[in-house]
Amino acid sequence: MALSRRTLLASGLAAGAGLTSGCAGKPLDTLLTQAAQVPRTPATLTWWVSEIPSRNGPVVADLIIRAFERRHPHIHVRKSNALSTTDSNRAAVTTQLAGASPTPDVYLGDTTWPAQFGANSLALPLQKLLPEDFWTGYPAALRRVSEYRGAVYALPFFTDSAFLYYRKDLLAKHGRPVPRTWEELLRTARTIQRAGDAPYGFLWQGSVSESLTCNVAEFLADAEAPVLDGEGRVALNGPGAERAFAMMREFTETGVTPSTVATYVEADSQDAFTGGRGVFLRNWSYAWGNAADRAVSKVAGRVGVAPRPGFDGGGPRGVSCAGGWSNFVNPNSSHLGAAVAFARFCAGEEAQMILLKNAGVIPALEDVLTRPEARAVGDPTLTGVRELHLVARPVQTPYYPQVSKALYTRANAVIGGRATPVQALRAARADIRTALEGKAL
Amino acid sequence: MTSSATPVSRRPAPEQAGPRTAPAPRGGGPARVSRRRRARTGWFFASPALLTITAVTVFPVLFSLLLSFADVRLEYGGFRILSLTGDHYAAVLSSPEWRQALFFTFGFTAVTVLLELVLGTAAALVLERLGAARGWVLAVLLLPWALINVVAAQLWGYLYNGTYGGLTWLFQQILGHQPDILGQPASAMGAMVVVDVWKTTPFVAIVVLAGLMLIPGDVYEAAEIDGAGTWTTFWKVTLPQLRPIMAIAVLFRILQAFGIFDLPFVLTQGGPGTATESLAILGYKTLFQNLAIGRGAAVATTTAVIVISCCLLFLRVFKTQADEGGRA
Repeated sequence: MALSRRTLLASGLAAGAGLTSGCAGKPLDTLLTQAAQVPRTPATLTWWVSEIPSRNGPVVADLIIRAFERRHPHIHVRKSNALSTTDSNRAAVTTQLAGASPTPDVYLGDTTWPAQFGANSLALPLQKLLPEDFWTGYPAALRRVSEYRGAVYALPFFTDSAFLYYRKDLLAKHGRPVPRTWEELLRTARTIQRAGDAPYGFLWQGSVSESLTCNVAEFLADAEAPVLDGEGRVALNGPGAERAFAMMREFTETGVTPSTVATYVEADSQDAFTGGRGVFLRNWSYAWGNAADRAVSKVAGRVGVAPRPGFDGGGPRGVSCAGGWSNFVNPNSSHLGAAVAFARFCAGEEAQMILLKNAGVIPALEDVLTRPEARAVGDPTLTGVRELHLVARPVQTPYYPQVSKALYTRANAVIGGRATPVQALRAARADIRTALEGKAL
Repeated sequence: MTSSATPVSRRPAPEQAGPRTAPAPRGGGPARVSRRRRARTGWFFASPALLTITAVTVFPVLFSLLLSFADVRLEYGGFRILSLTGDHYAAVLSSPEWRQALFFTFGFTAVTVLLELVLGTAAALVLERLGAARGWVLAVLLLPWALINVVAAQLWGYLYNGTYGGLTWLFQQILGHQPDILGQPASAMGAMVVVDVWKTTPFVAIVVLAGLMLIPGDVYEAAEIDGAGTWTTFWKVTLPQLRPIMAIAVLFRILQAFGIFDLPFVLTQGGPGTATESLAILGYKTLFQNLAIGRGAAVATTTAVIVISCCLLFLRVFKTQADEGGRA
């Protein structure tokens, strides 16, 4: 009766192999046919959604769900609360999806996910279900990041754009204009710091996470240094890239940015700024709501918003990473038609207007930003977003997480003074090359 | 298991005793029957537990082993194993990330286990001498251990925070400049060791205390009669007696420390750079962020193999030492 170790091992492996063969391989055409029709029969969808910053109090996701259910009375949408950071969110949702779970039917995901998710069959390709002119209403950068090999894996929901937040009162006190270049920002910050008016000059995000990759991508774009060349091979070379990395180091070396920035994610930098510790802050558009809220911000009423500066001597200004969240459809959903209908509703005008009026985020549909309601909201990021120069991260590879890790790990060493810009760039190039070949872990 | 509902003990023995049957007790036949039947009933009652263990432990472990050798493709409707390969191990073992994670995990395990053993034993010795207050002191001491790891990590995360952290402020007062505790490799590793020692020393202390209380009083009397001083008594009497229980504590700690995930995950996310990326964090990132299923499984399997080998090695060394100690 005793089970020998060998028997146990063999039977376990056999069971594993048996389970895995035969559960995969649904033809895509069948799925797309199902997805093309909104069902007439009652259906319940699960929507995996993280908390959308709210401007007035009501839960934004609930407002959108209610609006959708009014249009489709037989479809019921249930919320499934996602996690707050993009990396842990991905880990949680991929665990379910890779196991072929039919829920969540629709999930809100980061704009960096489509290539990886598309390549791994975790999201339904939607381009055949969309009208030809679908993308005309959305930013071109958003379309670029949502596509992989000609297929669309994500429908726009809202965008995050990066801005420079500054202390109006401190700039006025020292008679300084809002800086238009990084060099000018350095000088202004040092003047104000030396006068003892703020311990920190410029706050941003330098922790080993996607946050830092966004900052790096922006500094590189400021210096007109691409990460990948036209053929998708690693570029990241030359004086532009060195200038971008050297500037990050100069911030921490001069003390304009505290060295602890190497551990900052968005919330840390925002807390320091709203606590009155910094002169300048790079953060996403949603930070405006918190900075202007008297309940959480010591500096409410004294904060201004501007596009990010650029480098001295020309080059782009107002660069922002194309960030944001889009809806993906789970290919294993048992209500594909309803799921696609809901994801499209979220990208449509009615839902986008709800976002505009109630959420502290920027709607993806550019048209709603020109409406009178946009100005009435009184959020300068909503009106300022059209002046920005959106840049995509090099996300069009299924190995983007490894590429991102190469960028943030090496840049983090520069910020902490453990590597020179030249050394870090050389190492990052090697890492990215390994990643693109699919050889990184 | 049997279809018959006949009362077991009344029936004469239909089965013959096998050659391996142990000598029957008085009363012969019926006892031998019930022995067989009892074995069967035993299996019957144990089967739910066995099935559960198979489902939640044996199967996942073997499945993970299978995946580590598999070329897996995710498809609509699930995933498919295309072929078996050893490439994942080659990729993992040759990657600098893995070596770095191994280095950190080993260092972290060695330092924390050693510190916790020394401090825990010291705490246990003190506790043993406390009289009525022991219960209260023990309760307070056990608090850190009772905290959920993630909560403890978050708590220390606030203390270490570079902007408003209490410890950062304290160091600033002493050093005159703001330290960057979690932002530099050496201090980040040190900070993590401190949290683990703070959290787990009570566990070692309580295990060692249990061992101390098991040492019979007469050995101490004998030592006293022989004229042994406090130090001699500790080194020659207490410590040898504590050895087995200390070995258990160390074994537990090695197993836990080697799988360290929550502390780096909450405190540093593996940073700065990759300085505090443990094997568990690396496996998590490989599997769940990069979706490299085979390689992630290979990281997990190599980790398991290393930790099991370490434990076996430790037990062997310990046994040899204990034998020598016995002879001396």
